[in-house]
Amino acid sequence: MILFDFQYERARSLAEAATLLASLGPDARVMAGGTDLLPNMRTEIARPAALVGLGGITAAEPQVDAEDNIRIDALTRLAAIADSPLIRKRQPMLAEAARAVASNQIRQMGTLGGNLCQDTRCLYLNQQHDFQFVAPCYKRAGSCCYPFPQNKPDVCWSVYMSDIAPALIALEAEISIVGESGMRRLPLEQLYSGNGLKPFTLGKNEVIEAVIVPATPARSGYGYHKSSRRGGLEFATSVIAVALRLDDALMRCTQARIVIGAVREQPIRAEAAEKALVGHEVGAAAYDAAAAAVHEIKPLPHHGFTKSFIVDNLRVYLRRVLAHAVERARASGMVA
Amino acid sequence: MADRSRELSGKSQVISIEVNGELHEVTVRPRHTLVEVLREKIGLTGTKDGCEQGVCGACTILLEGRPALSCLTLAIECDGKKVRTVEGLANGEKVTAIQQAFLDQGAVQCGFCTPGMLMSATALLEKNPKPSLPEIKKALEGNLCRCTGYNAIVAAVRQASGQGVDPVMQ
Amino acid sequence: MSELSHIGKSYRRKDGPDKVTGRATYSQDVKLPGTLIGRILRSPHPHARILRIDTSKAAALPGVKAVITVDDTKGIKHGFVETPRYPPDQEVLARERVVYVGEEIAAVAAVDHITAQQALELIEIDYEILPAVFDPVQAMEPQAPQIHPSHPKVRDELPYSNIGGRTTSGWGDVEAGFAESDYVRIDRFESHLRTHGYLEPQTTIAHWENDRLNVWTSSMGTFIKRAKLARTLDLPYSAVRVHKVYVGGTFGGKIDLYSHEYCASRLSMIARRPVRIVASREEIFSAYRHGQPLAMEIKTGVKKDGTIVAQEIRVINNSGGYRGSGVVVIFLAWGFTMIPYRIPNLKFEGLSVYTNYTVRAPQRGHGCPQIRFAIESQLDKIAEDLGIDPVTIRLRNAREPWEELPNGDNVHEAGLIECIKVAAEKSNFLAKYGKGRNASGNIRRGIGMGVSGYFGGSLIYPNGSGVIVKMNDDGTPTVLTGGIDVGQGSETVICQIVAEELSVDIDEVKIISSDTDTTPQDIGAWISGMTYVTGNAARQAAGNARQKMLELAALRFNTDIEDLAIKDKTIFRRSNPAERISYRDIIAYSIATRRGDTILGEGFWRTMRDEPTHPSLATTKGRWTENYAFSCQVAEVEVDIETGEARLIKALTVHDCGFPINPALVKGQIDGQVSMALGHAFLEEVLTKNGYTLNPTWLDYRMPTIHEMAESEDADVITEQYSVGKPYRTKEVGEGLVSGILAAISNAIYDATGVYMTSTPFTPERIVKGARKLARTA
Repeated sequence: MILFDFQYERARSLAEAATLLASLGPDARVMAGGTDLLPNMRTEIARPAALVGLGGITAAEPQVDAEDNIRIDALTRLAAIADSPLIRKRQPMLAEAARAVASNQIRQMGTLGGNLCQDTRCLYLNQQHDFQFVAPCYKRAGSCCYPFPQNKPDVCWSVYMSDIAPALIALEAEISIVGESGMRRLPLEQLYSGNGLKPFTLGKNEVIEAVIVPATPARSGYGYHKSSRRGGLEFATSVIAVALRLDDALMRCTQARIVIGAVREQPIRAEAAEKALVGHEVGAAAYDAAAAAVHEIKPLPHHGFTKSFIVDNLRVYLRRVLAHAVERARASGMVA
Repeated sequence: MADRSRELSGKSQVISIEVNGELHEVTVRPRHTLVEVLREKIGLTGTKDGCEQGVCGACTILLEGRPALSCLTLAIECDGKKVRTVEGLANGEKVTAIQQAFLDQGAVQCGFCTPGMLMSATALLEKNPKPSLPEIKKALEGNLCRCTGYNAIVAAVRQASGQGVDPVMQ
Repeated sequence: MSELSHIGKSYRRKDGPDKVTGRATYSQDVKLPGTLIGRILRSPHPHARILRIDTSKAAALPGVKAVITVDDTKGIKHGFVETPRYPPDQEVLARERVVYVGEEIAAVAAVDHITAQQALELIEIDYEILPAVFDPVQAMEPQAPQIHPSHPKVRDELPYSNIGGRTTSGWGDVEAGFAESDYVRIDRFESHLRTHGYLEPQTTIAHWENDRLNVWTSSMGTFIKRAKLARTLDLPYSAVRVHKVYVGGTFGGKIDLYSHEYCASRLSMIARRPVRIVASREEIFSAYRHGQPLAMEIKTGVKKDGTIVAQEIRVINNSGGYRGSGVVVIFLAWGFTMIPYRIPNLKFEGLSVYTNYTVRAPQRGHGCPQIRFAIESQLDKIAEDLGIDPVTIRLRNAREPWEELPNGDNVHEAGLIECIKVAAEKSNFLAKYGKGRNASGNIRRGIGMGVSGYFGGSLIYPNGSGVIVKMNDDGTPTVLTGGIDVGQGSETVICQIVAEELSVDIDEVKIISSDTDTTPQDIGAWISGMTYVTGNAARQAAGNARQKMLELAALRFNTDIEDLAIKDKTIFRRSNPAERISYRDIIAYSIATRRGDTILGEGFWRTMRDEPTHPSLATTKGRWTENYAFSCQVAEVEVDIETGEARLIKALTVHDCGFPINPALVKGQIDGQVSMALGHAFLEEVLTKNGYTLNPTWLDYRMPTIHEMAESEDADVITEQYSVGKPYRTKEVGEGLVSGILAAISNAIYDATGVYMTSTPFTPERIVKGARKLARTA
């Protein structure tokens, strides 16, 4: 039951959505699949005065552009990404990440843009607050932080839990954004502010239009792992996405992007881990060194998981994920 | 106190939805979800309202052929669309193969998850007539069942898809 | 059993067609014109004094039709247990003080949800916040905040210290027993807070009309609900009708009176319109009743060969803000301790301690999973320390058939020894056991065993059942029973019994159930006795109808009843089968010749029919039950030793339920219990901090999904049988089998990793920490 009324307008295009957002005032929001926004409206984390529905806009099929990038419409449903032969062939990590999201129903309803723009989460935040936690926290424009009472009013350690964003960042994806005054394009990493209070850098009247994933060069390999307690349905304990490249001899790592998700206010590049890998011969020693460096990202304890457990779990899975990524890179090198 | 009814916003609107082949014109406010409209306005109570949080899957219906959570779907967004609910599966007393398989395998206990489970399974079988075990699990991962442990439900999907599973009940 | 036509057959559910087509009506599907929406105002504090409540603004809001606080009630208390020692202790709405977060304070009825919500926000309350206590051990300290200082003391010595209930029991001399033991081991175990996870939210619709209250509510027994509603509303029982609805799962969580049921009723009496209250999932997770977390200290002394000599057990229950079923679980922990193994010397103490948490309810197994997890885990450790295998030590101590228990009960044809033997053989236990720990690689397999015993029905008033079988003019029977089908399949089982006794087709048996106006009294679907109690009443009622028809036929054919038999709705002479009369004709004959008498069969049954009272919760004295079910379960798990991630691969359940009336329904109970136990073992936990619930959603309360499904194999050890016309003894199958398997999982993890699990849940964090510690010490 949504316990308040709001205005609803249907947009026929994203440009129209941007115009509607501008005309509807500061409390208007866009809604694509609604699978993140509507639960947040039920718990009154979000209280938009108006919704601009994007459901009537048909998403274009994923396609390859002149520069060999895959362009994926932001309104593409997650199930369509998971099942797309093009994406499965050219960017299997993205298909795997999309398949890891929530449940089948959510993947059928939710969109790529919506997944990227999902709000950050916290056990104290994501509930109704009608008798528990009645004093609003900072994120609800109140004056406390329940899990981290020492936090200052401008700090919110809620966690950004997209399963897909780490994969896209590892793949060096960019997003294109429609606003009132036209389009702009930026690397996906720059979508995030790093502040759980307002996790995104999008302007008030801006909407993500598409995600552009560059082609993967030869001798590249990926590794992806979503840690969670159950096989499906729930949000991650942590997500690891790795994209790396080997030298001609398939022995040395020349490039690596290691992205950790679902443990901070935004996906985090594990730069020390990348350094431990790049320029080194691949193998157990390098994986161990990278894994040992992963604590640098300083995971937040969340959803009942302690910081030390998250770090331990990341260490184990990063080793495994790197080994997988190297195997794949070698396989792609052999084929090439 | 928070302002819960803003004047002039949230105006009612008449939508038309086709539910199980019948056209319904209903007046809804933007805040009305599809599960509320199906159950309260159209009177089809077979679709269950289990958690309102989009997790349990009891409210699963087919929207334009795809499984959707009717508790996370605004009715106003369904204007002009086709919806199938559990009431639309059987043809009179003649149940579908998946409904029969649920009966034959003991996949029904309390029955509260059953309508949503049947809709997810129906969507799966329409797309993939011979699903493998991992495909069955992936399709039904968003439908919680507390009674059966899921074993009988998987057996029912296999029976309905003709994968050599015989009825255990007579 | 070959002469049986309907018993022992896996018939499809009677309610199946309704449930697969969406026709089945649950509480939330009941529609009455003019229905108001009810909402409840709950305490935001774990412990506080209510200084002032002002509902005037809420009452004045247009669209609000009724507002109630405790002042609008009769002040009649209720409790899960209502005995002289443990009198009712909870009011339907809080008076002057709240003792847990979410405690009900006021309720409103309004024309729609938004108005109801606005009304709640307009109720003004001033609180004085009081110190709260959440840990039961701390709560027992003398200086702890007193949650119920005015309650009758349950122990003689001071301080009273929040002890809401105490059970003590024992026999023999434990000190002497430990002295004569070759080996003594002490362990402490803890089980955590879990909830029932019924898919259907708690929902009640109440309608006060013509001085009668009509109620549709999601419950485990309509007669219990009627009794508690009538008492708290101060109405005659006959003024309350609780209607039959389908129930979407209960697992112990829908017994007793819930405040929303009272509030919907009272609001309807004031507003004179139907009132519906649906609990939100967040309310259910954070303010409704959960199961019972127990801390268990166990000291066991054994002989070298593993024979148990003495056991001393102390159980502490965190019972929440009122007594709830907390004082029952400490009695049951004793019971589930003493059933499976011979313990010559036992000393047991159970304490139920008030804390500022939500009230506790029974949860499937009600103490059995917790105590069996502790005892069986320790037993495996003892076996290892003594160099004995898990099968041998269990066989050494398992009860033989016809043993008398220390409380005077008899285990009758107990199948425990057979269960252990079959389980060991079918799982190839000893060949697999002990391999995992020494394996190389990350993934370790482990196997473990657990044993449990469970009671089947006890004497908590009114654990009796009446059933009426009404013969229709066409010769078909209609069964009237107060028994409620909450998903377990009781309606199907009762129909099978009637079909067998009357030799009619199962499809021709109509059943009308669990409506307090039209069906006879029945205790409902709890305390695990329905197939035995209601089933025997149904058998008797059908037999009574059969007897009446046979008497008529004897008159008609001028012969003795012994000369008559029935088959396929026909009575015939054994001496001359050609001489026959259909049920339809014998009923017509009755009406024609006996001034219109139709055929009605009556049946009544109760557990321990010759026993006047229930056993003492405080001392355990008195008989408890006459049907003990036994089981031995085997778990095979796979553990990733690096991450601590573990899962149940395969469960084997070998059990003695007497005999299965419907084997497929029995199997359904087993599979469900295996799934629930693996949720208990690995996944589910209500996370709390200072009495607040942190994960009130199914996203964060991790109930098993289809991905966690484990292979579940089972085997029946048949110990009893069914014969037409004779009382039968079935044993329970719906609760006890969550227990041995939990213990088996714990033992299998130990087998796989060497990590001794003393607390549930067996999280990756606990397993990986344990494994590291072992690696360091190795």
